[in-house]
Amino acid sequence: MAPSSSSGLTFKLHPLVMLNISDHFTRVKTQLNPPSSSCSNGNNNPSTGDATTLPQDFRVYGCVIGAQKGRTVEIFNSFELLLDPTTDTLDRSFLEKKQELYQKVFPNFYILGWYSTGSDANESDMNIHKALMDINESPVYVLLNPAINHAQKDLPVTIYESEFHVIDGIPQPIFVNASYTIETVEAERISVDHVAHLKPSDGGSAATQLAAHLTGIHSAIKMLNSRIRVLHQYLGAMQKGDIPCDNSLLRQVASLLRSLPAAQSEKFNEDFLMEYNDKLLMSYLAMITNCTSNMNEVVDKFNTAYERNSRRGGRTPFM
Amino acid sequence: MSSVEAVITSIQGLSSSSSDLSALHDVLKGASESLRTDSDLQLSTLDQLDPSKHSLGYLYLLDVLTCGPVPREKASDVVLLISRFINACDAVQIRLASEKFVSLCKRFKDKVLELRDPLRGVAPLLTAVRKVQVSTKRLTALHPDCLQLCLQAKCYKAGFSVLSDDILEVDQPRDFYLYCYYGGMICIGLKRFQKALELLYNVVTAPMHVVNAIALEAYKKYILVTLIHSGQFSINLPKCASTAAKSNFKSWSTPYIEVGSCYNDGKISELEAVVVANSSDFEKDNNLGLVKQAVASLYKRNILRLTQKYLTLSLQDIANMVQLANAKEAEMHVLQMIKDGQIHALINQKDGMVRFLEDPEQYKTSEMIEIMDSVIQRTIGLSKNLLAMDESLSCDPLYLGKVGRERQRYDFGDDFDTVPQKFSM
Repeated sequence: MAPSSSSGLTFKLHPLVMLNISDHFTRVKTQLNPPSSSCSNGNNNPSTGDATTLPQDFRVYGCVIGAQKGRTVEIFNSFELLLDPTTDTLDRSFLEKKQELYQKVFPNFYILGWYSTGSDANESDMNIHKALMDINESPVYVLLNPAINHAQKDLPVTIYESEFHVIDGIPQPIFVNASYTIETVEAERISVDHVAHLKPSDGGSAATQLAAHLTGIHSAIKMLNSRIRVLHQYLGAMQKGDIPCDNSLLRQVASLLRSLPAAQSEKFNEDFLMEYNDKLLMSYLAMITNCTSNMNEVVDKFNTAYERNSRRGGRTPFM
Repeated sequence: MSSVEAVITSIQGLSSSSSDLSALHDVLKGASESLRTDSDLQLSTLDQLDPSKHSLGYLYLLDVLTCGPVPREKASDVVLLISRFINACDAVQIRLASEKFVSLCKRFKDKVLELRDPLRGVAPLLTAVRKVQVSTKRLTALHPDCLQLCLQAKCYKAGFSVLSDDILEVDQPRDFYLYCYYGGMICIGLKRFQKALELLYNVVTAPMHVVNAIALEAYKKYILVTLIHSGQFSINLPKCASTAAKSNFKSWSTPYIEVGSCYNDGKISELEAVVVANSSDFEKDNNLGLVKQAVASLYKRNILRLTQKYLTLSLQDIANMVQLANAKEAEMHVLQMIKDGQIHALINQKDGMVRFLEDPEQYKTSEMIEIMDSVIQRTIGLSKNLLAMDESLSCDPLYLGKVGRERQRYDFGDDFDTVPQKFSM
């Protein structure tokens, strides 16, 4: 476990970078293991198992760019790079070409570091890191863990810096963990929202879309509820005295709670109940209509099946 | 003697698993004839068996013992024995021989009525109904007996618990008529006129080829309950009643129709005159109490009509218009109606004015949510039943035959495959 950084830099990560990295990873993975061949692979090679595990764990690499203002490092964008397997370093000429192109469009951005996927930082990563040190004297290393872990609540993204520590009498650079925050521009928030709420592509019927929409709202409220519950437990423990009082945290919690909508007033309850009742009445009406139409069908079928006088001739059947 | 002992040992041996039970069933069927004539079979021999484990055998032996005439002293013993058996028996075993069980319970009911103690039989029959029922939606032959005992014993609440299940499948129409008729009477006793109306309506409009005495009695009560509940009377039966009913009911129930048409006019004095004139008929049908309730409800109906015409009215005016004796009685009537929830009004006691209000229900409360929720759930259940019926009808060969016959006229090349006229089963 890498120790935390002491450089005092604050890192701000934009969601675009994370989307880019995950997109890169997914694209390469599907290209290596296309779904059609995986089905036939299942018949021919039972050893391949499920399509998600690959014969070799592969990683994708790329560069991150952004701007540094004072002590704040803001990582805006990223692009992909190829790892040269012979020298085990990133393709340098390609990197410089891309850098020139990006410089024309974004003159303020320059290369801040590189990214890769995996679960933890390796020793070999240090070589790549050192190779980038001539472009940026202190590059950052963004690591994305592509393994899907449903129990994990936080983002699987870690940012590493390099620091020189004395190990066995020799100063060596090692990776140290750096904390970061997520920074969004309005446009980014919209696109992230869009990606998160990918609806069924054929549009479905109104019913499936409504169901998907409501499920999204339900899960969002559930998460909000669980987070508030954590805070509640924390405050309760603090009140009991199990945890030492932290005033700055209390101030943060108070400001957070004030921003939540107040839902306890008398007028709100009345309006809420009235609207709830209206919705219930509407669904009741819909149910009754549905039942009535079912009943109509049943009666029609019953009459055709069991009527005593059969009607022949002159009847136009419905086409 | 040996046959009795042999039967008892076989019962004790073969009462454990379902395959054994079917074997036991065959044994018992074969042995029942010989047991009938065997004089060794006494009530005491039943002590060797345990009713909860050996229910099937116990049932057969009880049946044999009680099919003949039972002397009076023994009647209460027999009743006690049967009620204990019903409480303890195992439902699965009973369902294998349900007709025997049903006839046993009917005999039980007769004995209880003979002993003039119907209350003893109510609880056992309730449990018996639950045990014989394959599913809660099915009507059994025991339902009307149970309801009859409840009526005789005047414990309406017990009967009402049986009525609260919706019945969706019926084996015998006669059971259904009796069930609805007795059920209607129980609801009248509990003053739940809405449900009574539904049940009696079912009997009156049930399909029948000839006039059914049960349906006729139900029709008389139906007229009276419509008067009490909704205050209106129409001389015609509902459209879906059978033709036999439509043509014959009216001739058999003329005094009731007179009461109904008089009610429609709304004059109390005339109505009372008609009632007095026909009171002997009403007494013969045991409906005099119901008729008196109908007369009392005429006041209510008139006051209700007043709410639609006036916004405020003085108590004296109400008394005059409704032909009540004085303002005090009018006030009592109005108070009663407000309490029952039939009208919404405010009585100003200072100057004796009554102000009629609209229904104050705003549908804003959380109790309303619970009511709506339960109603919606019930509708969902009914909808499922309807869909099941729809499916079963679609597979019905009669239906398919008729539909196929119509489709066969149009052959658009190979697009429509012809449905055969008849299905060979």
